[in-house]
Amino acid sequence: MTEAVQNVSQPQIQVENLNLWYGEKQALKNVSMQIPKNSITALIGPSGCGKSTFIRCLNRMNDLIKDCRIEGRVLTEGKDIYGPNIDVVDLRKKVGMVFQKPNPFPMSIYDNVAYGPRIHGANRKDLDGIVEQALRSAAIWNEISDRLKSPALSLSGGQQQRLCIARTLAVKPKIILFDEPTSALDPISTSRIEDLIINLKKDYTIVIVTHNMQQAARISDYTGFFLMGELIEFGQTRQIFQNPREKSTEDYITGRFG
Amino acid sequence: MLSRNYREKTIEWALFLVSALTVVILLLICLFLFRDGLLLFKDTSLMDFLTGKFWYPTSINRQFGLLPLFFGSLIVTAGAILFAVPLGIASAIYISEIADPKVADFLKPFIEILAGVPSVVFGFFGLVVLVPIIQHSFNLPTGQTALTGSIMLGIMALPTIITISEDAISSVPSTLEQGSLALGATKWQTIYRVVVPAALSGISAGVMLGIGRAIGETMTLMMVTGNTAVIPSFPGGFLAPVRTMTATIALEMGEVPQGSTHFHALFAVGSVLFIITLLVNLIADSIKKRYKFKVD
Amino acid sequence: MELDAKVSESGDKAIRVKGGLSMRFNAKISEKIAFALLGLSALTVVGFVLVILGYIIYNGYSAINIGFLTEMPRLMMTEGGIYPAIVGTIYLIIGSMSIALPMGIMAAVYLNEYAGETRTTWLIEMAINNLAGTPSVVFGLFGLALFVKYFGFGSSLLSSSLTLALLILPVIIRSTEEALITVPKEYRESSLALGVSKWQTIRHVVLPAAIPGIITGSVLSIGRVAGETAPILFTGVAYFLPRLPDSIYSQFMALPYHLFVLATAGTNIEKTRPIQYGTALVLLLIVLGLNLVAVLIRRHYRNKLKI
Repeated sequence: MTEAVQNVSQPQIQVENLNLWYGEKQALKNVSMQIPKNSITALIGPSGCGKSTFIRCLNRMNDLIKDCRIEGRVLTEGKDIYGPNIDVVDLRKKVGMVFQKPNPFPMSIYDNVAYGPRIHGANRKDLDGIVEQALRSAAIWNEISDRLKSPALSLSGGQQQRLCIARTLAVKPKIILFDEPTSALDPISTSRIEDLIINLKKDYTIVIVTHNMQQAARISDYTGFFLMGELIEFGQTRQIFQNPREKSTEDYITGRFG
Repeated sequence: MLSRNYREKTIEWALFLVSALTVVILLLICLFLFRDGLLLFKDTSLMDFLTGKFWYPTSINRQFGLLPLFFGSLIVTAGAILFAVPLGIASAIYISEIADPKVADFLKPFIEILAGVPSVVFGFFGLVVLVPIIQHSFNLPTGQTALTGSIMLGIMALPTIITISEDAISSVPSTLEQGSLALGATKWQTIYRVVVPAALSGISAGVMLGIGRAIGETMTLMMVTGNTAVIPSFPGGFLAPVRTMTATIALEMGEVPQGSTHFHALFAVGSVLFIITLLVNLIADSIKKRYKFKVD
Repeated sequence: MELDAKVSESGDKAIRVKGGLSMRFNAKISEKIAFALLGLSALTVVGFVLVILGYIIYNGYSAINIGFLTEMPRLMMTEGGIYPAIVGTIYLIIGSMSIALPMGIMAAVYLNEYAGETRTTWLIEMAINNLAGTPSVVFGLFGLALFVKYFGFGSSLLSSSLTLALLILPVIIRSTEEALITVPKEYRESSLALGVSKWQTIRHVVLPAAIPGIITGSVLSIGRVAGETAPILFTGVAYFLPRLPDSIYSQFMALPYHLFVLATAGTNIEKTRPIQYGTALVLLLIVLGLNLVAVLIRRHYRNKLKI
């Protein structure tokens, strides 16, 4: 909203003492983290460590889960997204999310991308441009520009996932969350999406959950290691992978468990 | 943003109010049924109504005894259940456990069709086909008997029993079956020792709902049971005409002056009918709930 | 489970007594017999359907022609067509569906998308179950007491449509709920993640995806409206009317009641048999046609999902 007054050195996302419970069970314990603007942050850890739960706190998708209780603060642009005057719907416009399994709507390719902007009141005349721009940014335009009206479900898995990224880009978020975006894809589709994510860094702040450590090492600037609901270590990716401070981080990275 | 949240809340409230309307409708049914039904007891005592053996609504010495109608409904329903339950459960087992999926897919539409046939059409068929058959095979003065009603009603209750039993049987975890088969039991032994017992509460829920459907059936019975309001004997009553509670309401309501004692008596019969089906449904519901627990 | 244990216990005993090869053999034989009996049961059910349909079709088709469908009844309904009964039934369908369909969909959306596990929700669910199990003749009594008398709509198309709407409301709610449940959770999540509000997500993603299922359920309840007699008996249906209904406050004729009257109380029951068979067949064709439409929609939708 107010780009001009934004402080450059201020982190895009600032998490302070985040705790989360599913009923009685505590799934996140005192997580604090600062995620810089226009960077890629990878979250790694064994399954069930809380990394997916954590990323879903950043756009409040956990609100959909019954018995889920959250304490602590998550600030973007200096505002707590769990604060009293926050509108979740507006928040999610700014913080987009791409899911593990490609999940296009059962509509045409065009309508999938146009879905968000249409509902957010985009001008009908601008829609073609927005859709093309989003599909180009998601590096899929060249493959499908001649069949925008065909059903999205007819695309291959990798194409569907890039379409879902385009759908997210069309809403013009500032932050994009990726929840294991390539775990359902083949290696070629995976590397395309990795390239795409690296390209998106210049315009967006990116947080990605991955179970693939090579992927984290390849594309991210920062890495956070989760274990049993705790953020064990957070730092520059090179440091985490080459010179981890914690023993458990090293064990995990070198494949001793998980 | 504020206006959007306002709109969202308004919509949620509107949707809630519409669904809450179902509760209101049920309460209104109770209210209007019981209100007119209770007025009967200005003229007839509750005991006379519930235990009265004669339904003579229009004679000079009029009597509003529920028993002939109640037992009429009971004998017809009992007869229907007696043959529809084994037949329905057997068909459900065949469709869900034994038949080749292709055969099952071929059979299922027939059951859907049976469920869709309007009750007057059943009644009409019973009247022109079954009534003469019954009359001739038992050498009766009339073929419009409780048995005729039972047979038609049983056929009508089949789809309910089959569909719900089939659901219950197919929701038995296949691991249970495989466990039994792995112990060397035959498929049939597995079905009757493992699958059917595990699905039993679901099947009973289906049977209860089938009973509910049978008690409430009106048009078919009105057309094939002869509508004579006498307490049926057992088992000879099956071959004599009877009159059910539903048929009584449908037959007489058109001709009574509104607000008369007879009018109120019919509402009282309706109230009894409503309470009975309510109980049957509640039982089916609680059986189903217990059954869900088990699957978890 | 208690029963389960008992059954297997007695089963064990049987195995121990017989034992060996003969037991194996007996098990095979009894399986054959059991399967044959079960198959026979299923065949019997199919037989009922074929006999009933076959009989009505065989006797009814010669009665049906254009005149039968488009002419008024003549000579105390002993001759002529069933046009007003067809029109009345169509009016009833339009009237009751236009009330029950929006209400049913709204209630189902609330229950499936919004309602939590509260006491109120339990109460609503229970009310719907009980409405579904209430006999149609009781709905008729209720319609008479509330719409005809209390609201003063009289014996009319309006009273009957309202009564039938209440009767099919639970059916529509249940089938819509089923359709909504099959919409993948992912559609909702990804729409919400795009900053689309809950209601807009329901309107633009969930409901469109559920429409085939909703249509299937509605088509089946149309069949129900066309076939029900007891609820309209004292709320508006007429024995015979010389003209079509001209307002929602008019009485009307309807196919199922027409059949009932001709078959049980007509002026000449034997003479009008052909008209009865014809009416039964028309009614059956409407209901079965609707069932077929529902099946086709379901199949079309299933194939589309397979892509």
